[in-house]
Amino acid sequence: MPSNLWPPVFDTRRLLKALDELAGNPEQSAAVREKGHCVVLAGPGSGKTKTLTTAMARALIEEVIDPRGVACITYSNECVAELETRLAKLGIGPGDRAFLGTVHGFALSQVVSPYAHCVSIGLPPDFRVATRTECRTAVETAHAAAIGDGDNPHRRWEFAVEKRRRDVDRTRPEWRGSSPELADFIETYEAELRRLGLIDYDDMPLLAYRMIKQHDWIRAAVAARFPILFVDEYQDLGHALHELVLLLCFGGGIRLFAVGDVDQSIYGFNGANPELLESLTDRADVTTIKLRFNYRSGKRIIRASMGALGEDRDYEEIEGAPDGEISFYEVPHGLDEQAEEIATTIIPDITEKGISLGEIAVLYRAAWLGDKVADALRRADIPFVRADPKGLVRRSSRLACFIEDCAKWATGGWRQAEPRYSRLLARAGTFVYGRDASEREMQDLSDRLIGFLNSSIGSTESAHAWLQRCEDELVVPWREISRNSESDWDVCSEMISNTDPANDLDMPINRFAGRTEGAGRVTLTTLHSAKGREFDAVVMFGVNAADLPSYKDKKSAHSLREARRSFYVGVTRPRKSLSLVFQEHHPSPWVCELAERIEG
Amino acid sequence: MRLSRLSIRNFRNFQAIDVPLSGNVVFLGENRVGKSNLLFAIRLVLDPTLPDSARQLRLSDFWDGCAATYDDPIEVHLEFTDFAGDPALVALLTDFRTAHDPMTVSLSYVFRKKPGMSGAPETSADFDFVVFGGGDETRPVPGRVRRRVAIDVLDALRDAEGQLATWRSSPLRHLLEEAISAIPSADIDAVAAELDNATKALEGFPTIKTLEDELRVGILRLSGKAHDIDARLRFAPSDPFRLFRAIAMFIDGGKRSIAEASLGSANVALLALKLAEFAWRRKKNDRNFSLLCIEEPEAHLHPQLQRSVFKKLFGGEDPAQALIVTSHSPTLAAVTPLRSIVQLRGRDGATAAFSLAALPVSADELDDLESYLNATRAELLFARGVLFVEGDAEEALVPVFAQSMGRPLDELGITVCNVAGVNFGPYVKLAESLSLPYAVITDWDPLDGSKPPLGRKRTLDLVQIMLGIRGKPVMKPARLATLETKDHTYFANQAIKTGIFLNDRTFEVSVANTPALLKPLLDILDEQGFGSTRTGRIAAWRAGSVAVDPTQLLAMIADIGKGRLGSRLSKKMVGLPPPKYMADAIEFVAARV
Repeated sequence: MPSNLWPPVFDTRRLLKALDELAGNPEQSAAVREKGHCVVLAGPGSGKTKTLTTAMARALIEEVIDPRGVACITYSNECVAELETRLAKLGIGPGDRAFLGTVHGFALSQVVSPYAHCVSIGLPPDFRVATRTECRTAVETAHAAAIGDGDNPHRRWEFAVEKRRRDVDRTRPEWRGSSPELADFIETYEAELRRLGLIDYDDMPLLAYRMIKQHDWIRAAVAARFPILFVDEYQDLGHALHELVLLLCFGGGIRLFAVGDVDQSIYGFNGANPELLESLTDRADVTTIKLRFNYRSGKRIIRASMGALGEDRDYEEIEGAPDGEISFYEVPHGLDEQAEEIATTIIPDITEKGISLGEIAVLYRAAWLGDKVADALRRADIPFVRADPKGLVRRSSRLACFIEDCAKWATGGWRQAEPRYSRLLARAGTFVYGRDASEREMQDLSDRLIGFLNSSIGSTESAHAWLQRCEDELVVPWREISRNSESDWDVCSEMISNTDPANDLDMPINRFAGRTEGAGRVTLTTLHSAKGREFDAVVMFGVNAADLPSYKDKKSAHSLREARRSFYVGVTRPRKSLSLVFQEHHPSPWVCELAERIEG
Repeated sequence: MRLSRLSIRNFRNFQAIDVPLSGNVVFLGENRVGKSNLLFAIRLVLDPTLPDSARQLRLSDFWDGCAATYDDPIEVHLEFTDFAGDPALVALLTDFRTAHDPMTVSLSYVFRKKPGMSGAPETSADFDFVVFGGGDETRPVPGRVRRRVAIDVLDALRDAEGQLATWRSSPLRHLLEEAISAIPSADIDAVAAELDNATKALEGFPTIKTLEDELRVGILRLSGKAHDIDARLRFAPSDPFRLFRAIAMFIDGGKRSIAEASLGSANVALLALKLAEFAWRRKKNDRNFSLLCIEEPEAHLHPQLQRSVFKKLFGGEDPAQALIVTSHSPTLAAVTPLRSIVQLRGRDGATAAFSLAALPVSADELDDLESYLNATRAELLFARGVLFVEGDAEEALVPVFAQSMGRPLDELGITVCNVAGVNFGPYVKLAESLSLPYAVITDWDPLDGSKPPLGRKRTLDLVQIMLGIRGKPVMKPARLATLETKDHTYFANQAIKTGIFLNDRTFEVSVANTPALLKPLLDILDEQGFGSTRTGRIAAWRAGSVAVDPTQLLAMIADIGKGRLGSRLSKKMVGLPPPKYMADAIEFVAARV
């Protein structure tokens, strides 16, 4: 065998450097070297991602022998992209040896797809993922068949979804023991999907769980491929992942390395439950490591965050970090005026301190509030980008982010290979073929992609026209040959209509690509979408007595705690400056607590 | 892990073969039956060094009998099992599990018309190939799988010295490189310096110096100054880093180079080095499983070496390595574990394959069969037809009778297999598995008549075995009960249809009852010089005044010994026709080979 066929050896220098960087932090150092089950509790700004990626790199280089590898599961596709970037810096590209993905991606690509044809789980060989419309229709059909009252099927389905996500193991008595009519509803719905050869997103981890539980050889196969499982954002990942972890790690020989922060658990509506992470830390066979240092914020902001949360944590700023500033803006009137205040007073105040627009974020609870801020900024001629679900580029969509990166490449990125073409191609390969593509298929894919990108270099097209061409030249032909049942091909046409010139929404392609002259754009985002991100300055919009907590939050202790945690997430985003905007004399009680805390 | 199944369709000699395999595999077959094509088919799936251009086959690679429209693709499928114990292999192969058994993985190569092609394709460009796993074309087999589960082919061990002499292809290369890398460079420099001294001493001899100068002048004259290569006579290159490339293997305690060894020894050295290289690759974690293909090792390996080398190779089962050997050597076949054997035979314009991997015999029966094959140099495996007989007498006589019938067995490729008793079952299973035409020649054995004849139950048991192995329903108890009531004439006539040929008593009695054979038989008895009673009986039988009494006849034969009688008979019976049941058996097989 000629030597050029030998697999490349990992470059250990980058790993050694990364390990060296953690030397000053005993908790991080211990975590990355831990050889047993390990849970890392990581507060805001504590270097969680760095710890995770360094631990992964160390495992791949020092511990796991080729061709075995490691898997890392995280909350969203956005988190996946972030981890990919960070791992690339450590010299590790995603490939056969390092799986990076969401719970759904893991379940589908590592369990359901490869083994469904070997076991009787009721899936046809060419099953695909149902569209939203298909799911809704199946809900209606199942409701008529299983429940059959005059209620709104979709409202009833919300309860069913909660049960479906919580009662992962249906052989346990709870499944039929409580709300058996919902169990019927769910089973009828699933049978209806199967009849059509479909699965939905919630099916993926549930099917994977059932397959692993019933077939020891599948558990052994997963363990053979991934002797170590890394889980990021454990607190957000819900019951299905937790049950999978219990099965694989505490019953299947896989080592667990989980990272999370119960204080930042804000995805209850998706089935997340902070107690799951806590239950891991209670286990005797798990080493729990708490990261103490906050590398992000100064002492003052850390103290404020304790007030925001209403509990004490022993977090410490690093030596020499500036204190950080906290400003309160009391506005005489309601939300519209508060938005106006942000555009006319607060942002100019911040920029005056030497912080650029690109380093400022405005945070709010729901996307409709973002509309108000967006309108105000537009009037004040301040450039901004929305990272919430109403943004032009949906952050949760891999395809949308890919298209945005293509625009970045075409508008100048090709010069510095930023983003890199090889990465763009690899991502395209995933959309079209899933994990497995032959060399020839990749060649055809590359011909098409580079043809489109090349013709876009120096183009004077508007974003709308360019997206239209992208749809015609890439999305439509790819969709036709796609083998990946997970791809969201509709997102491009969505962006086309969201840049419709008839509604005055079009823009130059370089602005779509995020290339702005000067100081960048203010980020507008919801508290949920802000998770994991950080900015020099953060403006929290509408922290009013009536809104935080809202009437709805106060309905249960559970939702009240979750609302408070989301406030905490916002407060812990800034590095230097935190501004809180609320109606005069009517601040949120949590703002008051925060203020008291910094005074004391 | 082990290779558990191979199927090939529509490729060169192969219309369709699909055989179970058991670990190491030996493909036995005559020349031109397609042994090399079969190895190439396996390489299409597994060989990491095979370029895409070689995987893009040609129209001429389709089986000759395939339709001119080329609608049926060329297919090669390999299945592996027993990989679960090695996590690295599981990690590599788990995506390719088969629907029929998750503990089996399949890897496939398919060469077929491009989609949308209408009409008959004209060139290779109208086709494309896919290599995939799990029976699912959307799961391509990545290059790393082929590197880590790799195939190595040793072509008909014909140029072992050549391979050993060329640095690039030498299996010594990696082993030496590794060994050398562990030596401090100062020590290597010291060796280089010593060699340099030796070279200087060499150049110090006037005749050497003159020779070198002459050669240099000669080269210079031919090449011109600009292209002069500055040639020197050396023991080894003086560059310390190239020094070790001059290290070679010597034999006879270092006295002679391997090139001077007999071809056989060089081949054995090459094999041993190859195996060492595989072990080294596994240790280096370059590879997790090696499939070593050896083409016709007998070509240049002395039969004694074949026996000892392959006994060793087949003996030590290594889960990370399997052997595929093609051969037409009876010597090699004789030492091959029976279940490893796959026989290739041309049949109706295509090559058919018959595997013994799933031969349904017990461990004891397997032992018996293997010892039989070993003792007979595996003659059975190379025959075109076989006559199974009970003992030495028949073994000696059947060829003589066949000759007198104008059916010379050697020329027809029919062998006589003496099962030394009446346990025909395992042998019949073997012949059935090889799809070999055969007949069983056996005695009715009526004994004293107080019990059912032994031949009846023996025949019924054999028929049940045949039905079972052909996948047909066996006879029900009711049918058996009916057959057990039938007399000899009816029963023997029925048995003929299944290839079982019965006499009405025993072989010797049949000979006595065949008029043309009675005289030579009595001659032999006479030669024995029995007492007056027996001599009188013999005379009476000869005169025809008294019918031959079986009991008395057998008593006399027992004194002579059946085997000795057989060999004497075979000399006296040249040109004489056999008893009818035996003639029928010979004709039966001769008509089918």
